Amino acid sequence: MIHYLLRRLALGLVTLVLISFLVYGLIRSIPGTPLTAAVGQMDPSRKLNLADIERMNAAYGLDKPWYQAYFVWVSNVVRGDLGRSISRKAPVTQIIGERIGPTLALSGTSLLLTWALSIPLGLFTAARSGRPDERAVSLVLYMLYSVPTFVAALALQVTFSIWANGTAWELPLFGMTSGLPHANTAAWLTDVAQHGILPLVCMTYVSLAWYARFINTNLQEALRQDYIRTARAKGAGPVRVLVHHAFRNTLIPLVTLLGLSLPALLGGSVIVEQIFTWPGMGRLFFESLRERDYPTIMGLTLLFSVLTLTGQLLADILYAWVDPRVSLD
Amino acid sequence: MPAITRFVCTPRRLPHCVVLGAVVLCACWVAGCGGKPTEPQFKPEPVLGHPGTDNPPPPGEPGPNGTGSSSTKEPPATRTEAVFTPPPLEDLDRDAKWIDRPVRDALEYLAKELAAEPRLATPAEALALVNNSAENNAKILSALGQLPEDGEADLDARVNRHLPVDLNSTNPILSSSAAEVDVLNLTNFGLFSFDRHLEPFAASEAVETWQTSVDATLDKVVLRDDLVWSDGTPITAHDVAFSYKVIMDERVPVPAVRSGTDQLRGVHAYDDRTVVFFHKAPMATNVWNINFPVIPEHVYGDSWEDDPTLKDSRHHVALEAKPIVGGPYEIVKRIRGQEILLEARESWHTVDGKQVRAVPFFKEIRFRIIEDPNTSLLALTKGEIDEMALTPEQWTTRTSSADFNERNTKATATEWVSFHFAWNTKSRFFSDRRVRRAMSHAFDHERMLETLCHGLYTPCTGAFHPESWMASKKPTEPYRQDLDRAEALLDEAGWIDHDNDGIRDRDIDGRSVPFEFTVLCTQQPMALEICSLLQQSLERIGVRVNVKPTEYTVLQQLMLEKKFDASFGGWGAGADPDTSSNIWATGEGRNFGSYSNPEVDRLFAEGRTELDRSRRAEKYARIQEILWEDQPYTWLFWRNSFYGFSKDLRGYVFSPRGPYHYSPGFGSLWKPAP
Repeated sequence: MIHYLLRRLALGLVTLVLISFLVYGLIRSIPGTPLTAAVGQMDPSRKLNLADIERMNAAYGLDKPWYQAYFVWVSNVVRGDLGRSISRKAPVTQIIGERIGPTLALSGTSLLLTWALSIPLGLFTAARSGRPDERAVSLVLYMLYSVPTFVAALALQVTFSIWANGTAWELPLFGMTSGLPHANTAAWLTDVAQHGILPLVCMTYVSLAWYARFINTNLQEALRQDYIRTARAKGAGPVRVLVHHAFRNTLIPLVTLLGLSLPALLGGSVIVEQIFTWPGMGRLFFESLRERDYPTIMGLTLLFSVLTLTGQLLADILYAWVDPRVSLD
Repeated sequence: MPAITRFVCTPRRLPHCVVLGAVVLCACWVAGCGGKPTEPQFKPEPVLGHPGTDNPPPPGEPGPNGTGSSSTKEPPATRTEAVFTPPPLEDLDRDAKWIDRPVRDALEYLAKELAAEPRLATPAEALALVNNSAENNAKILSALGQLPEDGEADLDARVNRHLPVDLNSTNPILSSSAAEVDVLNLTNFGLFSFDRHLEPFAASEAVETWQTSVDATLDKVVLRDDLVWSDGTPITAHDVAFSYKVIMDERVPVPAVRSGTDQLRGVHAYDDRTVVFFHKAPMATNVWNINFPVIPEHVYGDSWEDDPTLKDSRHHVALEAKPIVGGPYEIVKRIRGQEILLEARESWHTVDGKQVRAVPFFKEIRFRIIEDPNTSLLALTKGEIDEMALTPEQWTTRTSSADFNERNTKATATEWVSFHFAWNTKSRFFSDRRVRRAMSHAFDHERMLETLCHGLYTPCTGAFHPESWMASKKPTEPYRQDLDRAEALLDEAGWIDHDNDGIRDRDIDGRSVPFEFTVLCTQQPMALEICSLLQQSLERIGVRVNVKPTEYTVLQQLMLEKKFDASFGGWGAGADPDTSSNIWATGEGRNFGSYSNPEVDRLFAEGRTELDRSRRAEKYARIQEILWEDQPYTWLFWRNSFYGFSKDLRGYVFSPRGPYHYSPGFGSLWKPAP
């Protein structure tokens, strides 16, 4: 087990270096630099001087070839310095750090909610397969899945923030807090929770539908297996067959999904964050790409790569736990 | 039983794992891993004057970040103070003949101007109107765009302003975007500004006297003695000279404000209050070159040499969050990506217990960052923000409802922002003037104006706005679709369909080249529609157009590298016509189409050195006429400003650069006392 872990960690490190090298090369190859984005926003009263762009390129070290710049970046990262954002004039760790809390609050809750709701829904739809109540639930799930997030978000905003204005159902339109001073932590938490409800619903409904269908499909397949017939033949009750015999065997693909959803915890959601002005990681990544803010993009890439690799490692370890046929030794 | 290692990363499977990792990363970029990977629906942020966005410039700022105008042909000056030795003040005063220049209270001046204009309605009448006609718009602007009588304004009022994008920097010398201008105009200290007619003056809040030497090579400013930074330290002339030194240092990544200051020989503070600006040459544009933001020497004096990026060191990082400012407001809270809270600074208006300057109309200004235009409109409707710039589509279709008008009103005014197709004059298609004219004749201008632009805009007939002092007074007929004329011009230029395939072609270097080119634009719907209309129009005369919506930064880079045939874009106007030389003079930074005409170059050079306004105007008028003849652009339309305002707000007065980007700008807005 220890040997296995060490091997995986070493491989993870190599993968990390390769990913970061690849991504660094890619982002430096996209046309445009942080200065391109900046001069595009310049007041037309200020003349654009090409010599000035050259000078700023040098000031930011953008005049060096990208592989050289990559090694500078790596050596700084090894020393624990992710650098300074070019467009935001602040340390990358600070910029990312500010976004972790809000992102986790939204994505973490959304993920928990998704799992908590999709497993019973998946079990229910598998158990009642083909019956009217299952068809109704599945229809609703398909409908949810096909509603674009930005449409749902606008509908929720109009309903709960504009129409319900002044009623007990009113919810905040945007932002993470009302911005007004809070009496105590509980008041602050309530404020954040209220602001979080609409984005949370938007983030959850699509993945809820997706996960529930995923569990349902896997269960359907498991229910057709011989061991289920055996279980039924030996007299196991329908609930026990479904949960104990069938569901346990669908845990393997679920664990893969769980592992892959670890980066999603911090990945945030560009669309939901944009619409609700939630200061999350998705918006940060999107803005940084648009601004060609290489240090921030690399900081985020590193973070997501580490999470992806950790997620996969965790998934592999969990296999051994859920599947007695798997051994890590 | 053999161990299952299907998902375990082994050396043999390493490339697979990397690809998997990369795929996961890409998925994160697209959908944030939050659900199904839906295509993000984004609108590029509103940007300052750039070709390729239909949301260009609230151009420029008054106050500290005014306009700059300069020739960019000389190499950038560096560490000027090292080579420049200023003469003693006595010598200057003895040799120079000084002329007094205007020192004004922007609000008072505006009040006087407004008093002379007829009032078309009372505020109550105007508030009852729905803005659905030019007449109602004029009434709303006239009645609600007034300054308060004594005691009429609520000086404890708070206002929530809309900010479409967060600030990148709160340091005025590092800033350049429209959002930064909006916030920093309220917090910055500056000596100069310009009014709603874009005429420069020195701000009486900061300046006691401003004089220019008769030979126009010197400007002398005496600062007031009752100015303090937000930490209580006096603001002095040394801060002005220091700021110039920092701006001109090569190592400081100043994005915008150097253009202008690079035309100065030096800036010298003779004592705490007297500062003299030394110009390289007597130029009409010198007045803009002395208008740069001022930062406190006692705060940056020791730190900037160690960290010339002004953003890396702990000290500078802390200052980004809470800068020491010299303007009427200070930043008291900043939450990145959410809001910026400004509070009126008592030490601005009251010194030693005595009121020395007017108290600003708002006690607190809260900028709420909302990037999504739908959300911001809902926020305005609900009363969570008090003002916002509306998109043309919002103006036309989404602000007529009772919901919107219950709490809000809206106003529009002419803005000097124009849109065009830019032709790359170095491309094999558009080097010939006849071809460019043919394009202008072929485009369906009427359909664009009436259908795509909802009849909101007027056709654009050249580089300068017809109401500006520099515009040509010769009547110019806008282009209308005339396919016969366009075809004749193309025939004349040698573009004929020799092979009868429906596409015109021409022999270039012994090879038959079909007339097929790509027009670049942003992904915004209106830009796409206008480019598609160009495609349809040109198809009728045997020219094939490919419309290529392009990511904003890529587009900008292609323009800078001049790797394009044609593009759709827009420009805002600089406060001085000389700033246009950056677009039209040979080899200049914004001359993406590589247009070159020696006469235009000469006229711009003459316009810079001509000090007489009417003779200057003639030069620019002539430039406009030559450009119209040459058609390096197919000019399309002038775009208005569109704003929504809470019914509680008063005092919005529009300039050619919108309601805020001049002086007093936002400073004239107020809320009535309850």
